[in-house]
Amino acid sequence: MSVVLPIPVFPGRILAVTLPAGPGGTPVTVGGQNALPLLPEGEHPNAPAVGMEVRTGPQELPPALSGAIGPFAGDPAGMARKCAGDWGARFLFLSLAGCHPDAGGQSVSEGAAVVREVLSATPAPVIVGGCGDEEVDARLFPAVAEAAHRPVFLSYAEEKNYRLVAGAALAYGHGVVSWSPIDINMAKQMNLLLADLGFPPDRVVIDPLTGGLGYGMEYTYSIVERIRLAGLSGDAALARPVLCHLGDAWKAREATDASEASWGDVVARGQRWEETTGLACLAAGADLLVCRHPASVARLSGAAWR
Amino acid sequence: MALTALDIYKLLPKTNCGECGQPTCLAFAMQLASGKASIDLCPPASVEAKEKLSAAAAPPLPKVTVGTGEREVVLGDETVLFRHEKTFYHPTAIAVSASDDLPDAGFASRLAAIRRLSFERVGQRISVDLVALRCGSGDADRYARAAAAALDATGLPLVLLAPAGPLAAAVRAVAPSRPLLAPPPEDLVPGAKLAAENTLPLRVRARGIDGLSVALSAARAAGAASLVVDPSPVTPREAVDFATNLRRLAILSRNRDLAYPSAFDLGGFPDPFLAAALLVPKYGSLLVLDSADPAELLPLLTLRQNLFTDPQRPIQVEPGVYPIGAPNESSPVLVTTNFSLTYFTVRGDAEAAKVPAHLLISDCEGMSVLTAWAAGRFTGESISKMLAECGIERTVTHRTLVLPGMVARLSGRIEELSGWRVLVGPQESSALPSYLRRLPPGAFLPVHG
Ligand code: B12
Ligand code: SF4
Repeated sequence: MSVVLPIPVFPGRILAVTLPAGPGGTPVTVGGQNALPLLPEGEHPNAPAVGMEVRTGPQELPPALSGAIGPFAGDPAGMARKCAGDWGARFLFLSLAGCHPDAGGQSVSEGAAVVREVLSATPAPVIVGGCGDEEVDARLFPAVAEAAHRPVFLSYAEEKNYRLVAGAALAYGHGVVSWSPIDINMAKQMNLLLADLGFPPDRVVIDPLTGGLGYGMEYTYSIVERIRLAGLSGDAALARPVLCHLGDAWKAREATDASEASWGDVVARGQRWEETTGLACLAAGADLLVCRHPASVARLSGAAWR
Repeated sequence: MALTALDIYKLLPKTNCGECGQPTCLAFAMQLASGKASIDLCPPASVEAKEKLSAAAAPPLPKVTVGTGEREVVLGDETVLFRHEKTFYHPTAIAVSASDDLPDAGFASRLAAIRRLSFERVGQRISVDLVALRCGSGDADRYARAAAAALDATGLPLVLLAPAGPLAAAVRAVAPSRPLLAPPPEDLVPGAKLAAENTLPLRVRARGIDGLSVALSAARAAGAASLVVDPSPVTPREAVDFATNLRRLAILSRNRDLAYPSAFDLGGFPDPFLAAALLVPKYGSLLVLDSADPAELLPLLTLRQNLFTDPQRPIQVEPGVYPIGAPNESSPVLVTTNFSLTYFTVRGDAEAAKVPAHLLISDCEGMSVLTAWAAGRFTGESISKMLAECGIERTVTHRTLVLPGMVARLSGRIEELSGWRVLVGPQESSALPSYLRRLPPGAFLPVHG
């Protein structure tokens, strides 16, 4: 006699969202599920997708990253080709950090040119991230929206800038990443605000801010889990795919510090640090993961697929 | 399901005799419902009522202990499926394996390596909890000696992974340390008898939840009472599925026959690290790993520390004035918040500077610098108040404060309210050593008047 399992049946379903690809590329569709992550129950038409960050501007890479991606510093198009071609990234997160005034301050038009260059280098789906400086980003996003010759996602729209970012995205047919700082109510509010602007819901993914392992993961884990449970339980404003950017994993001292011999090899440790952050996000319900280490792509994709 | 006060009231004698210390049976029922009293306090209650009420009060997932004293490991005893509903109480126990067929010197160095898997993070010690002893030799005497040696060398409780013969020999050697007996499936019944005779916990391993259901009946029939279950998955995803459904059976179905903490022997698993990292959030109570590589264990133990903190209460330190080195009246004064992660990061960096200092820890309800600032808990007002009230004005002769660079914008308000001069420090405390060493000698001169 077999044991009857109390498998929950949810009334809601996560909206399927597609990150569009260029000619000859493979778009990434995530969402569409009506059950909790990693389990065989319910329907999961789309597995979570793992992408990689491509960053402009000068960066100081920790030991685990410098060997792997160091050779591509200053070459975003080359890096993009490598990520999508050899490393198996299903999409790219192009961070225009180089436009930040503290990071050498590439001009807005230089930033937009990098976007065009990357979009021509690979047909993979692309999410374009701002530089983090409010004032610069306010000029950067409209320029990027105009420069991108195929649909991308703009990251990110938040409380202060969403009209501008969503407006630019609407005008040129792009999607947006809806951002809030580890707060389920703000995540919901952001999506309602975007809906009020008439932004198509199937062109929005949620970024709830990912605290890295040992650096806020305890908050992120529960917020992602709560967003997913709310979405599955029928809250349409939260029934969206969730994106977790694992970049914060590299802020932890344990991921980068070679001086503690008792912590083991810093290269292996850094890579595990990012991977562990990603696995926790997958367990909580993330649909899109952005990583910085090429090895994480294969390992996290392996965990995400059945 | 939890009983309401009214459900409980119906089961009580309803005589209002007062023996329980409450004026009425209804008052006592309310105490029981909120978990503030136990049915034992009501002597006149019927046997049936006592049974029902103690069953309802028992945790949905029973508690199993391995080891004794300070190193005791508690498995199970959880009440929710999602940590935000309350909290997860008992961190996934991590066991690292050693095999008795290693040559003596290799075995000793393996034990030493396991003992070193212990780290300090945000003021807490995070360590591997148990040694899992594999029987590679097949030799009962050798296995028993190895068990005694492992206990002796590490002080950690043991998981004894061995067939019935060697298992019995090891139990004779180390039973008082309360090891977990983990016989292979074919030795379930002799293993269960051994556990029953010695009142030790037993791991029951069988294929899948249906397989466990059968094996558990056999273990209970042989007298074993304190049980953990290994559904022997073959992939990480299957492990998550089994662990999730075992936990649901306990919490949602209150299925007493399958409500046991889960244990996963990940030795021989295709990707043990990946499975372990998924099982820490997803309901693994005990994991056995073959890797003793700190580069793998530190991330796993950190994940466990993160997920098993109470979501309502960040790990925090007492507010107050903390010395860095041996500071005196002209040493620098730094300020930060009482979030443990912030405090220990800043303290570590300040110590690395080798410049004695006073570190003021402001009460910010355990929030980081920017979070506390955003929440209005780390402000010009709160910092000025702390300067005036914490006693630092009697300790130092100068009036110069080093502020975290991220909240540079508070400096004007602090100077205005407190009369202290503010130096804006670096954004990241990792830059404190060079910053403190480069401060001009006149930065902390006494003020008069
Ligand atoms: C985890 C987190 C939370 C957790 C709380 C964590 C906690 N216990 O504090 C939660 C989810 C609860 C939270 C809530 C909020 N958060 Co929050 N949170 C974070 C996050 C992801 C990490 C914070 C952290 O742990 N940092 C690690 C510690 C060690 O950093 P730290 O304390 O700043 O210390 C460093 C430096 O300041 C410096 N330093 C510290 N002390 C000293 C002392 C001296 C002398 C010197 C020189 C240097 C120095 O060195 C340290 C190491 O580098 C950050 C984003 C990020 N990635 O940083 C946002 C962040 C801090 N949060 C933010 C916000 C807005 C909020 C909320 C207001 C959002 C909301 N409305 O709900 C709330 C406020 C809380 C409340 N109750 O109202 C914003 C702050 C915005 C801003 N720029 O000011 C941030 C920056 C996110 C963002 N980009 O918007 N948050
Ligand atoms: S002891 Fe029992 S019977 Fe007496 S008042 Fe209390 S609950 Fe009622």
